Amino acid sequence: MSRDITLGQYYPVESFAHKLDPRVKLLLVIVYIVGVFLVDSLYAYIVVGAFLITSIIVSRIPFKSVLKSVKGIIFIVIFTAILNLLFHKEGEVLWSFWIIVITKEGVLFSIKMALRLLLLVLGTTLLTYTTTPMSLTDGMESLLSPLKLVKFPVHDVSIIMSIALRFIPILMEEVDKIMMAQKARGASFDNGNLFKRAKALLPVLIPLFVSAFRRADELALALDARCYNATPNRTRYKKLTLSWRDLVATIAFAVYIVLIVAVNNNFWGLY
Amino acid sequence: MSIEIKNLSFVYGAKSAYEKRALEDVSFTIKDGETLGIIGTTGSGKSTLIQHLNALIRVTNGSIVIDDIDLSQKRINLQLLRSKIGMLFQYPEYQLFEDTVEADVAFGPKNFGYKKEDIDYMVRQAIELVGLDYYEVKDKSPFELSGGQKRRVAIAGIIASRPSILVLDEPTAGLDPIGKREILDLVKRLKDSFVKTIIMISHNMDEIAEYCDHVIVLHEGKLIYDTTPEELFSDKEKLVGTGLSLPHTVNIARLLSEKGVEINESCLDVDSLVNAIEKAVPNE
Ligand SMILES: Nc1ncnc2c1ncn2[C@@H]1O[C@H](COP(=O)(O)OP(=O)(O)OP(=O)(O)O)[C@@H](O)[C@H]1O
Ligand SMILES: [Mg+2]
Repeated sequence: MSRDITLGQYYPVESFAHKLDPRVKLLLVIVYIVGVFLVDSLYAYIVVGAFLITSIIVSRIPFKSVLKSVKGIIFIVIFTAILNLLFHKEGEVLWSFWIIVITKEGVLFSIKMALRLLLLVLGTTLLTYTTTPMSLTDGMESLLSPLKLVKFPVHDVSIIMSIALRFIPILMEEVDKIMMAQKARGASFDNGNLFKRAKALLPVLIPLFVSAFRRADELALALDARCYNATPNRTRYKKLTLSWRDLVATIAFAVYIVLIVAVNNNFWGLY
Repeated sequence: MSIEIKNLSFVYGAKSAYEKRALEDVSFTIKDGETLGIIGTTGSGKSTLIQHLNALIRVTNGSIVIDDIDLSQKRINLQLLRSKIGMLFQYPEYQLFEDTVEADVAFGPKNFGYKKEDIDYMVRQAIELVGLDYYEVKDKSPFELSGGQKRRVAIAGIIASRPSILVLDEPTAGLDPIGKREILDLVKRLKDSFVKTIIMISHNMDEIAEYCDHVIVLHEGKLIYDTTPEELFSDKEKLVGTGLSLPHTVNIARLLSEKGVEINESCLDVDSLVNAIEKAVPNE
């Protein structure tokens, strides 16, 4: 059921990648994303793919689980690929019928775009697989802390985010429970047309909202009761520290960046 | 309707990092007309077990046969099954959703395809059975009732569709002592008049001792006892290591007999304890 949603789910094993500092991971993933967008030659994509596979191996997450995250977007990938294929009209014509013209460049272009999307999703999934939501927000807070200079409430935003993240699994569990209870009263959620199905969700959504508001209320009270306020000098329970792993990862990443830039530019015609 | 459970096992999140074995090779039979108590510590698999009974969790390993419905079959008539087996979840008041109490209680019967006139009658009967004033509550919003009243409305919503087996997951959790007693008396009344078989999960040994005639104990997903309350609570050794305790009445009787008061009965409720003490220590 709702537990099958894998996007953004932490995968609890011990590995080099899991132990990296979340700030480093965030930065590296951002660089990775920029890289995927800038890379243009098919050879460079092969390098990116190889790097991604190496990273998956280093994080000790089964390939099957990583690939699951692609399942959700495979439709978008295929759809954009087809659109790209149809609308790319310049270049050597491979096949044409009526108004459909397929060119060699179009084929290459759609393959590249599809690869780009897949590599993006796989890379970011790897981040959420190896980093708990809590340490992700911690990392984000730390990275955004320069914004405090312009009076941006970094800490408040990050506490809101971590509470929201923390509540996702709780609410999912709640959805499961309520659905079961309504099913026991004969409700069915997978029959009929779209309109009927949406209506069938009311018995789930109403109790869900009621309980979400109740929880929010209780949480606010609990925070108040413990005199919580987001003062600037809060200390933290878990301090983020850099280790040799982060250094190794950054160096490996730098090598990778140099490599893809080189491959992308055909080694500047050096040979 | 009798229920036969054979070699039932269940694993949550099979083949993932979150794999969790919740039931392991559980077999037992529930006869028609029984009041079955299911006890076990937190996480022992009680809820998982009962959710199998109306196919909210499908049988993956082992078999469950309810009368002539074989739940391990791929295709079963879910509506029929779920109308026969009413299930009250933990904290059922959080599942109320309609504008009025009447509409909420009617949700089940409507889904099970009863006729409009029948539904009106069933709803009214169910609301009265749980001890609420039909005309007073029918047009109220379920959200403006008290906790105990909400729970009654939730129970009415289950029994309105006339199940022959009623399954209750910790029906008294979170209620005050009076509310607890009221719900239990309601369950007893239902048993005498309306539903045939009752299956009840409880953490309260006193409730189990007083109301059940058959009890099973789950421990870490395994069935460790399948017996009567008298048997189970007759021997303190049986509960060692399960994290469970004796009912208060049984405990008092034990302590008294250790001090030399001659009590031989099992004393599963207050009345029988009082009787036993009066017999052992005659009034001058
Ligand atoms: N939806 C689920 N997904 C994964 N694991 C679950 C799920 N529901 C229950 N479990 C796990 O299965 C085991 C049995 O849970 P179950 O809810 O059946 O216990 P229980 O005996 O009803 O406990 P309690 O007395 O606390 O209600 C527990 O270890 C629990 O963590
Ligand atoms: Mg439970």
